[in-house]
This record gives sequence, C-alpha cells and structure tokens, in this order.
Amino acid sequence: MTGYRLPERPGEVIDRGTALTFTWNGRPCTGLAGDTIVSALMAGGVRVFSRSFKYHRPRGVLTASFHDPNCTVQVDDEPNVRGAHRLLAGGMSVCSQNTWPSLRFDVKAANRFAGRFLTAGFYYKTFIHPQPLWPAYERVLSRFASGGVASPHAGHGYYDKRYAHVDVLVAGGGPAGMAAALAAAEAGADVLLVEEEQHLGGHLRWGGAADLAALADLRPRVLAHPRIEVLPDSVVAGRYDDNWIAVLQRRGLPAAGPVERLLKVRAAVLVVAAGLIERPLVFEGNDLPGVMLGTAARRLINLYAVRVGSRAVVVSANPEGDAAAADLRAAGIDVAAVVDARAGRTVRRAVGGRGPEGGVRAVELGDGTRIEADLLVVSTGWTAPTSLLSMAGERAVWDAAAARFAPGDGLPDGVLAAGGIVGDGSTAELIDHGHRVGAEAAARSAGAAPSPVEPLRRPPHPALFRTSHGIVDFCEDVSSKDIVAAVAEGYDGAELAKRFTTATMGPTQGKLELVNTIAVLAEAAGRDFAELGTTTWRPPYAPVSLGALGGRGFEPTRVSPMHGWHQAHGMVPLVAGQWIRPDHYGDPEQEARGVRERVGIIDVTPLGKLELRGPDVPKLLDTVYINSWGSLAVGSVRYGVMCAEDGVVFDDGVTGRLGEERYLMTTTSSGAAAVWEWLENWLQTVHPEWRVHVVPVTTGYASINVAGPASRRLLERLVEGVDLSNEAFGYMRVRTGRVAGVDDCLMWRIGFTGELSFELHVPASYGLHVWEALFEHGADLGVAPFGVEAQRILRLEKGHLIVGQDTDGLTRAVSAGLGGLVRLAKPDFAGRPELARSRADEAPHLVALQPIEQDVVPPEASQIVTGGRRIAGRVTSSRMSPTLGRAVCLAQVEPGLSAPGTVVTIVLPDGGTAEATVMPQLAHVDPEGARLRV
Amino acid sequence: MGSERRGDGRRRPARYSALTLLRRGLTASPWPRSWQAHELKPSYDVVIVGAGVHGLAAAYYLAVNHGITDVAVLDKGYIGGGGSGRNTAILRSNYLTPEGVRFYQRSLTLYQDLAAQLNFNVMFSRRGHLTLAHTDASLRTMRWRAEVNKLQHVDSEVIGPEEVKRLAPYLDVTSRVRYPILGALYHPPGGIIRHDAVNWGYARGADARGVHIHQDTEVLGIDVGAGRVQRVRTSRGDIATPVVLNCTAGWATTIADMAGVGLPIITHPLQAAVTEPVKMFLHTVVVSGSLHVYVSQTDRGELVFGASVDPYPSYSTRGSLEFIEELAGHVLELMPSIARLRLLRQWAGLCDMTPDYSPIMGVTPVDGFLVDVGWGTYGFKAGPVSGEAMAELVATGKTPELIAPFALSRFGAGALVGEKGAASVGH
Amino acid sequence: MILIPCPHCGPRNSSEFRHAGEVKPRPDVGTVTPQEWRDYLYTRRNPAGWTTETWYHASGCRRFFTLTRHTVTNAIRSGEAGR
Repeated sequence: MTGYRLPERPGEVIDRGTALTFTWNGRPCTGLAGDTIVSALMAGGVRVFSRSFKYHRPRGVLTASFHDPNCTVQVDDEPNVRGAHRLLAGGMSVCSQNTWPSLRFDVKAANRFAGRFLTAGFYYKTFIHPQPLWPAYERVLSRFASGGVASPHAGHGYYDKRYAHVDVLVAGGGPAGMAAALAAAEAGADVLLVEEEQHLGGHLRWGGAADLAALADLRPRVLAHPRIEVLPDSVVAGRYDDNWIAVLQRRGLPAAGPVERLLKVRAAVLVVAAGLIERPLVFEGNDLPGVMLGTAARRLINLYAVRVGSRAVVVSANPEGDAAAADLRAAGIDVAAVVDARAGRTVRRAVGGRGPEGGVRAVELGDGTRIEADLLVVSTGWTAPTSLLSMAGERAVWDAAAARFAPGDGLPDGVLAAGGIVGDGSTAELIDHGHRVGAEAAARSAGAAPSPVEPLRRPPHPALFRTSHGIVDFCEDVSSKDIVAAVAEGYDGAELAKRFTTATMGPTQGKLELVNTIAVLAEAAGRDFAELGTTTWRPPYAPVSLGALGGRGFEPTRVSPMHGWHQAHGMVPLVAGQWIRPDHYGDPEQEARGVRERVGIIDVTPLGKLELRGPDVPKLLDTVYINSWGSLAVGSVRYGVMCAEDGVVFDDGVTGRLGEERYLMTTTSSGAAAVWEWLENWLQTVHPEWRVHVVPVTTGYASINVAGPASRRLLERLVEGVDLSNEAFGYMRVRTGRVAGVDDCLMWRIGFTGELSFELHVPASYGLHVWEALFEHGADLGVAPFGVEAQRILRLEKGHLIVGQDTDGLTRAVSAGLGGLVRLAKPDFAGRPELARSRADEAPHLVALQPIEQDVVPPEASQIVTGGRRIAGRVTSSRMSPTLGRAVCLAQVEPGLSAPGTVVTIVLPDGGTAEATVMPQLAHVDPEGARLRV
Repeated sequence: MGSERRGDGRRRPARYSALTLLRRGLTASPWPRSWQAHELKPSYDVVIVGAGVHGLAAAYYLAVNHGITDVAVLDKGYIGGGGSGRNTAILRSNYLTPEGVRFYQRSLTLYQDLAAQLNFNVMFSRRGHLTLAHTDASLRTMRWRAEVNKLQHVDSEVIGPEEVKRLAPYLDVTSRVRYPILGALYHPPGGIIRHDAVNWGYARGADARGVHIHQDTEVLGIDVGAGRVQRVRTSRGDIATPVVLNCTAGWATTIADMAGVGLPIITHPLQAAVTEPVKMFLHTVVVSGSLHVYVSQTDRGELVFGASVDPYPSYSTRGSLEFIEELAGHVLELMPSIARLRLLRQWAGLCDMTPDYSPIMGVTPVDGFLVDVGWGTYGFKAGPVSGEAMAELVATGKTPELIAPFALSRFGAGALVGEKGAASVGH
Repeated sequence: MILIPCPHCGPRNSSEFRHAGEVKPRPDVGTVTPQEWRDYLYTRRNPAGWTTETWYHASGCRRFFTLTRHTVTNAIRSGEAGR
C-alpha cells in the first residue's frame, strides 16, 4: 500500500485482498479489484491524466465520475474510455490521449503561450491566404484533434439488443430512484431500474454514516424485489416519442456474450431520478491538477480510499461542501481553510506549480489572502440533468433563488421526475418524494388519470458561476474570455455563442458547462439568464457505441430452394436486393450459346408472383396495366406494363389466366412488394366494391425457365397431363399439370430469351426435385444451367427492355417504345391522363444500336453526343452477342436521333468515340420472333 | 483598427488576417461586431425570409453584384439556425444531368474562392468524395454520372475496389460482406466545409454593405393585393415591400401559403449524428447509396454521419432511435473496426422534398413573391449559386438561364427535371 | 419509434407501416384538366399541424387506413379503414 491509499473506509468498494496489475503509458502499475482506472492511478500517486484540447494544459481529476472531462484514456484498442468510471481489469494497457511526445512533456503546450492570439474561433480569421496552403494548415490543425485512436484492426465484437415492455422505467438508482422503484413494484408494476454508476445508491454511497445506513436498508430491498429488474453500469440514453426509451447496458452480460447490449424499452411511465450534477466554478486556474469538486473528493476518499492531497482549501456554498471538508479531515488531510461562499467569501485564483505537470500549489481568495495548498476542493453549485425530461418536451425553468434549472411544464403524462432533480431535502425527504412519485407512476401505468405529485422545495443557494476568468468548457478548452469576446462580435445568443466558441460541443455535451456558459453569456450580453434559455438537449444522454446501436448486424438474404445446387455447381453469386442468385457458372457467353443451340435452364424463383382470384380481376388488370385485359381467355398469357399515376413506367411482367376467376401475375423481382401494395391500394381505397383477392406467392413457387430449341423434347419426358405440342400449347399460353411427379405445377410459354421456352412454377418444396429431374433427363440433350448474366445477353439480343435499366424515373410508356400497348380507349387506368398527353417527340426514345466497328462494346451508361459535347442520349444496355459475334445495345436517344439508319456518336470511357447505327427494330436476333413460336 | 463607417451607413468590416489577429492579440483589443442589430424599418426594397445560406447569399450578392442594399433578411430564430446549421456540410458537383452538373459546379467554383471573397475562413476542405456502388445497377449509375461529369469538365471517374481501399483504408472491400463494394464514383473536387462559417461569412459581408439582418423576427403573414405582394407582417412589426423572397427550408409551404401560393413540397426530417473525436483516419467523404449512409471526419476528429430522410413527413427535429440504429449498422457494414467509437449527439433538420429531386426557384403566380425552396437534402451545397441567381432575378426581373429548369411552372407543365431519372437506382 | 394505432391490430411500432400520403381526393379522370391532374399528383397541403393521411400496415394486416396526426408532435387521433 502506497502513501496515497487510506486505511479502510466504511463505504469503500475496493477489495484490498485482490491486487490487479496494469500499465499506464507503458509503466507497470497496481490497483485493487473495485478500483476504477483513475482511482487506482491516484492511489499510485498519479495526478495528471490528460492534456487539454487546445492549450495542452495538464489536467487532473475534476469530478471523478463518468462525465469527468479530464479522465478520458485509451485502454488497449478502445479509445475515449471514461477512466474515472471504468473498472480496472488486470492486464489492461492504459494510455493517455492527445499527448505528444508524452504526458509529462507536451510540445504542443507551446500553444499556451500563444493563448491570447488563439482565442475561440481564431481560425475563422486566418489561414485565408494563401488559399492553396489551406490543406497544409488543415493537417496541422487536425494534429490537435483530441481523442483516442481507432484501430483498423479492432474486431467488430458481438453486440446484441433486447426489447422490454415495462410498466415503469426508473432512470437513476439513488435514494429517490430506489424508493420510486420500490413503491411502484409494491403497487404491482413491473419495474426496470437503470443506474449509471457501478452500484446502486447514488450519493448515499460516499455519504456519512446516516447515508450508508439508509443505503444498507434500501438497496437490498430493491435487489431482492421480484418485480424490479436492476441494471447497474447502464444508462438511459434517450427518451423518444411515445416513451420509446434506449437503455445501454454495459455490464451484467454473460462472459462470452455481448460487449454491450441496447435495450429498446416501451415504458408506460418513465421516472427520471437522475439526481444532481455538481457544477464547477469559473476562476483563474480552475483547471489545474489538484482543483476538484466536492463530490470528486468525497468519492475518491470514501469509495476508493484515495488520499487526494496533503493540504487542502475547501470552498463551500452548501452542505455537500461542508461534508467534503469533514471527509478530508477524517482522512487525515490538512484542511488549511474552509471558505464559506454563503458568507460572501470566494476563491479568485488557483496558482500552479512549476514544471509541465504543475498542479495547484497555492490558492488566492477573493479578499486577497493567499494560502499554500496542493488541493482545492470546490462545492459551489448544482445542475439538474434535465436532458431526459427535455427530450420528452419539458421546458426547464430557471430558479434564480436556487441557482439552477428545475423541471418545468410540458411533460407528457407518461414522464415524471423524482428526487434531487426536482428539489432538495434530507435523505428521508428524497426517499419520501421518490415513494410518492413511484406510486403515482404505477397508478398511471395501470390507466389511472394523472394526479400531480407535490414537488420537493428548493432552498436558496448562492448564485456562483464565475469569480474571475477561467475555463468554462474543460473538454473544448473554452474560457470565459472566449465567450465574452464572442458576444462582443455579435455571437450573442446561446446557440450562436455555442457554435462560435464550441462550448458545450465536446464529450460532456453541456452537463458540466452549460449553466456557466449561459451565465457568462448573460453577463456579457446584458441579458436575463432566464430569457437566454438553454440550447437543446439531444440524445444520447451518454455516448453510445456504434456497435451497441448496430447490434448483430442482421441483414437477411433470400435464396431459392435450388441454392445449394447452384453453389455446388460453381455459381458466381449476384446480390439482387435481398436475393442471392447465380450470376453465372463460369462462362456466361457459353451459357447463352447453349440456350440458342440446345436447351438451358435458369432459376427465376425471385420473380414476383401474385395470385389474383375473383370475378373482378379483369377490371383490376385493366386499371393497373396500360393495355387491355378483358379479352384474356382461360389458358392465355399476356405481357403488361404498369405505369404510376404520372405515366412513368414502374413495373412490367406477364399475367396468365389459369381459370375462370384465377390469374397469376408476375412482376419484376425488385418490384414485387411495391406492386402488391399498389394492387391493394386500388382494391381497398379506390374500388372497395371490386371482388378480388390477392395472395403473394413469390416464395410459394420455385420458378424455372427451360429455354432453347430442345426444351419441348426435354419437358415431354417429365410432364404428364399436358399436351406440349405447338398446336395444343401455343406461345403465350398457360397450362397446369404434373412435372416430375409433382402436381399443381404451372407452365407457360413466354419468351424473354427469344427461344422456345417454358416457364415452370413448381410448389417450392419440390423445386429442387424438379430442377434435378430436368438435369437428369436432359443430359443427352446437352442441358446446362444458365445464370442472370446469360439471360441479360439473350434478352438484349431480343431487344427486351428491363424496367429501371432501359427506363428510368422519367420514362413514360411512349418513350420506352411501348406506346403501341397503351389503350386509351380504356376510360381510366393508372397513368392515363399523362399518357393521353404524351407525344412521341417530347421525350427520349428507346432504340437498338449496332456499333459500326465489329469489336467495339460500349460500356453501359456511355453518353451519346452531338456537336462534340452536347449530350443527346445514353447507352442503357450493352453486351457482346455470342450469337452475332458483335455488340448489341439499347439506348435512350433524343427523338431527332431515333430514326432507323441514323448514325450516333458514343463517347467511350477513355474519351474516344465510336459510331453506331440506329436499328429498325429493338430485336437484333430473330426480329420476327419465329423461334419462339415453334 | 476598427471598421470605417461610411456616409451611406455601410461599413467596411474589420479585416481578418494573421497580422490583425496578432495585432489585436498583442493589444488585447476586442473585435467589432460581425453584424449589427437594427430597428425594423417600415419598408424595404426587398424582404428575404430565412437567414440561412440561401437567404444570406442572396442578400450578399444583391448588395455586391447589383448595389441593392435596402434589404431585410428575417429569421424567426438565429442566423443559420435551420438547415444551414444542421447539415453534414458536404460539397460536390457530381450530379447526373448536364443542367445539374452545370448548376452545382458553379456553386463549387464560388465556394472555392469564398473565404477570400468574404474574408472569412470557411474551411473548405477539398478532400475528395467517394460514392460507393454495391450493385451493378448502382455501378451503372456511377458510370452515367462520371460520363456526364467528364463532358462538363468536372473531375469524376469510376474506380474499382482496390483504389477505393487505397483512398479509405478502413473500408471493408472484401466480398464477404452483405453488400460488397463493386466500385465507386470518385470525385476529387468534392469535400466538406464549416457550414456555420459560410453562414456567418455571408451575414457579415451583407451586413457590412447595409443589409439589415433581423433575428428573432417571425413572419406572420404576407399581404397580397391586386395580384402582387404589398406587405409582410412580422412579430416585430409590419414591412411594406414589393419583393418577398422565400428562402426557407421546412417552412416553405407555411410561408408560401401566406401568399396564397401552393407548392409541390412535402416536409420530412433529415437526421444526422456525430461521434466523439478520434485521431484522423478518414481522409475522404464516403457515401453509400445502397446503405443510405454518408460519413466524413471533421478536423476536430469527429465522424459526422447522415442518411436518408425519415420515412414519413413531419416537422419534428427530435430525432429517433431507429435512425441511429440503422445508421450505425450500415456504417459498421462499411467499416467494421470502428464498433467501439461512440455516438455523441444526434439532431435533425427539416427538408422540403419535391417530386423530382430538384429545387423550385424563381417567380410564382403572385407578382413579387419569389421562391428559392424545395431543396430537399442538397440545399447547402447550392447556397452560393442560388444566392447569386436569385439576386440576379430580383435585380433584373429576368430569370437566369442556369435556374430556368427549376421553375415552379414545370409541375403544371408535367416537365419534371432529369435528376428524377436516377431516383429508382439511388440518388 | 412512434406507435401507429392500426384499426385492426392495435398500436404497433411505426416501422411496421408505410406512410402512403396525405389524403387527397382523386379527381374524375374523365373531366380533369391537365393542370388539375398535375395539382393532384404533386401539390400537397403539408401543414405544420393536424393532417389526415393514409398508412399501410405492410408488416401486419396489410390494410390501408387513414388517421389524423399532428406533424409537429406526432400525436395521433385514431383513424378509419380504407380512405
């Protein structure tokens, strides 16, 4: 035990029997189980933990809590660890941040001497010329950026999430919070109690004998109650609309489990029992090592048995300050003076020692007295952490007599405040208030009408903010002088001053510095404190890791029943929305040739499929498609295009009539969900009188397209009950039958690839069976699988457009060459008003292009230009055609260039150009479609 | 060294430079105000509603380019308190259509020289801009943009995963991820800027030339008579004026309704978030369309994130949990090693969305009531060029060619702008 | 994550739904002028206040229904099925 560890304290949380070793900036150190990183270091004599952001002044403990701005350290590969909160673990490698070359000697401290020039916002006034040097200036400035190191090799880690539905969520486990939780649970509510610190108890933990006794009574009852779940070392990070509350759980998780867990809680009632945060005083030297708040001294002495100094001056404006002085004496620390701020005495200046680690060595009081001391303890004010209440819509009010903000009006019925955040009182009074709020919370959660809870009174407290110029925002190194200067320059409102000086924009986000900022601002601007208000409190209340917010990273994928087969046969995967599909199996051009010459099989399961039943289906089809459907006979299939109400093409597909009142509609894979919703929209909101049922069957069927001259011969071997001859089963017809022993398979003849083809829709659980059967029975026919890439080549050879590739968000049907499909005779259908007005000469046209040079394949999206650089269109689809041995393209071009035979100029990626001819029709191969109709 | 007061009430603002910084530091003399607070006059030649970058730039260019200084800029809050103070401050000109590219490129050109022109360091960091492509459809759109950009002499090119990794080493470019990076649109002239500095620089410049900036002044009504603007009623008094310029975001329809003008605008919140600072490791701006996320790192070391607008319209800037959850999930998809970085704060601004991802600029059916609205999620980067163009419109009465495609009348004519073309494959 | 009161399923997380737009009566296609049609397509009231709108319960009962919501506070008055 070093000279900095005190004898046993009644409320200490350290385990003197368990020593832990760790390193600090490479130096071996020891601490005890139960220590925080900072308490262990202080027990080892360390006083300086960081250097300030801008001026690189040495910094020591200020609050000794999670929010201590000076105690942020790097632990292993984790940056920005709150050293005064994080429990020490053996083997930790702890380093200070933002100190170069070392904590003890920091070259950047030269900034200190430049302080008068480097006022807040100085960079707006300089580095303007010479302009080209700004990147160099920037690199220098960014060297001063604070913060730890994010390693590129850090593992992602495992984080998960949890939902909770509770009656009452209590934020804060001090006396009022514990009492509220007990009262609510006793009244029958399910309670979740969340406490930021490592243990329940709040300020009772470092209090006197009476406080410890109250803690010993309350805490076990809370922990034992079956309806209270307690989460220590966890924080309520945000309260969102409708009491959707984020809780970050940092501890109490399984050893091999998640690093952190995010709870998403829907609470009927939220009780905010966040207590009070002690507020620093602004004076010259207030950021020197050795200047700390009363609560910091009490925590360190009473919880961790740390000797915080040898000779102290205490500035006290309240009972907590007096108790701090008593604790110092009880720890054997010489208290040279207790400066009673209630009697009008103040501190004016803390004087630092020599050398780069210079901590306090003397204190100058307001009356001029100078006292030698290495510790200055200040207890001059409290701030109510009203963030969660503010997130709920509350407008805090400034209580000038108590010198702090208090909860105001605007709270919804589902949010209550309890304890110190509301007012002051003895421990018994805080507990009583917590009880009453907890009971009311339980009542409201059970549906009772809200009734107000008598608040705690707030006794007067001296309004102490600043006695001389000093640091207001410790994280951002903003001094009161900076704020005064900002006001003088016109940045005289809370928001403008904050943005200009960056006060409250650091990791503490205003908890320690907002009130002082407003006070200095009010004084400088000659405005009323209350009138200036505050800046808005935003979530999260405490910083939350990206890992916890992201959770397990669950991104679902969809695969067809034949996926395993594809993988086993060398598929190269294509990510198509949620679907993983085979792009090809090694040689897409060969696959395409196989389809043209023999027979190929493609898995098209992702195709959107909707079953439509009812007598009014033709009316629905006539409404959503641009063409006519009334005459579709049973057993027939038709191609359709869907436009939105503004006439823009948004999906296409084929729909077949399977029976009198039974149809199957197909859509694009990516459009399936949108089309389904579109149909429901028409049926529910425009024509509720139509009798149509829509059932999505995209994943109910495995869809297989068998294409090529030999496709019929192959299917004849497997299909029962259907005559596959051209006479009996013509192009654009649909049949139902048995395939490979599987009943209720649908088959239709359509022609995306331009070859004789049959598209099978097989009940999904038999998809793999049928797929394998096709290969087994087609081996002698040369059957081979083909993927999406081969299909793209084949359809492009046939000039079939792909919605979203050959059309875009502005393409109306006429532009897509689909004008012939539009049936304006239909009185009403989606898109009709705009389509009726569309003229062929108004918008770009879809045309087929053939590059003049045989081996030029212009990349998709290549621009078509006239007059050198004026853009007149673009290539939308482009491939080398294995069938023709030359490139085939589709393009959108201005109407003036769309006449067949026109030669257009395409810009290639290297800046060169290629010429191409507009073809008379979109299909490059078999334009008459003879091969389809055999 | 104060500022000189000239007879016409204008001042040359105190000059900012390293030398004056030194001199004032040595003499401990305070800097003069960047802008004054004025009494509201009973009339102005021009009233601009909205003291964001668009309104302030319009006021500045009215004064500087056209000598029109009897101008009031009104804001119900503080300077730059709306979208101009809440955006993620990304600048680029790598748009899809030739008109879009020309427009945003003009803005970028103005931004380049803005610090010198305003004598206010706006900290434009041209660190390069990467738009990642995770699908072949997206890659195709990137090529489309690159080709259009190149034809307009704007530096953009499509690069592959290895080059992406070289520019942003923390990105996971392996194929093991759910959304593999197939390539990216790389736009070297793009970057980030200090948005507040732009607002303040324009405000200071306009104020020095006699423009009155009225903060905490809410517009309550606009009186229209005989088909033209007559008066603006505010919380501090009424102003007679023949010209009102609506430069608001989030409140565009509220203000336009006062003048009896309907707009095809729906207001959605756009949320953003920032992490704690860490040492610099991300030196370009990274955007992913498929993952709906963009990220950059400020000189202070914080990562700034943005994503898409909220899925339903509202005027709430309170933020949501699902936003930061989804955002974090997608950022970690791209950069899995930064899971321990902590989010410090989230906020939101209001975006006015139009049917074709393009703004609405120019005249309306009410004479004298002009609009510069509908800026969606891309308003800040267009501040300078919009201010310049609207100033020209006010001064000359003629709509500049650069903004002609953005006329309000295009909706009635069914002639929506081409940026909508890429909407289906990610903007 | 606001709660949307589905008339069929009760209050559910808003992520289960798709916002389908401000309620706007569809004009008679037979008599509408181009200007009126485009006004129907593009112009909205967009109030900072109470608005009546349609929601679709995409991850639930898949029904469309209307409700009235305050666009600043997200307070909701319960709605009805259809439009």
